[in-house]
Amino acid sequence: MTADDAKVSDETLIGRTAAGDPSAFDRLVRRHQAAVYRFARAAAPDGPPGDTGDAVEILRETFLAARRAASRHRDETSARPWLLALARQAIDRRHPRFREADLTPLRELARAAGWQSGGGGAVDESGLSVETAFAALPPEDREILTLCDREYFTVDEAARVTGLSDAAVRTRLHRARLRLLARLKERPHGE
Amino acid sequence: MESERIVAGLHCGEVLADLSEHLDGRLSFDRAERIDEHLAGCAECGRLFGEVTAAVRALRQLPDELLPPEVEERLAEALPG
Ligand SMILES: [Zn+2]
Repeated sequence: MTADDAKVSDETLIGRTAAGDPSAFDRLVRRHQAAVYRFARAAAPDGPPGDTGDAVEILRETFLAARRAASRHRDETSARPWLLALARQAIDRRHPRFREADLTPLRELARAAGWQSGGGGAVDESGLSVETAFAALPPEDREILTLCDREYFTVDEAARVTGLSDAAVRTRLHRARLRLLARLKERPHGE
Repeated sequence: MESERIVAGLHCGEVLADLSEHLDGRLSFDRAERIDEHLAGCAECGRLFGEVTAAVRALRQLPDELLPPEVEERLAEALPG
């Protein structure tokens, strides 16, 4: 975002988009396209390596839906949660899924991360990098971590994007963090 | 192998359930104070909390993945001007 661009609020850009100003829409896209891309990469199932076609399609659907709905969202002060909620819908259309309850007992997740089980190895240079550990998590975990620990969304905002209750957001976040830690402690293969 | 116990009036299982809420500062002051007491007196929970905190910090510090130029180009083509 350039310094000039930063002076115009999301609210203004959404309002102008609703009024049919194509340059405002273009600026809204440029301001948020990388974040929508990162969210799509995190929340959608992994495709073939290097294939970005799915991400382009999710981005396109997200911003077309945003332009159509702009007039109903003139009072959004930050476009990001609204746009990621639209991206979530685009992902659901392309990758239909039913929500499975996460039935793994919390204690089991914690033990895999070393709790009450002798530590399970330290997090250090011999373990996986946080980037690799994150990429290896299931999409549901990557999604909630992206929203809460990368975008710094509030619980309310994360609930809006995912369609989960506030309580379910908090539970999922906690579980995802424990699985991330367990991954970080995994030794690379063959060691 | 350690076993779960009660420290500062809290069972390890209760503390485990609240770790993320504690990390994010969403617990009441009284609850947070008791959890801190447990973490100080229980090696297992104390270590787990430290490691979860470090993992979250590392995740937060990762640089943002940039939008590949090819994706940006294809999106610009796909969106009617
Ligand atoms: Zn404990």
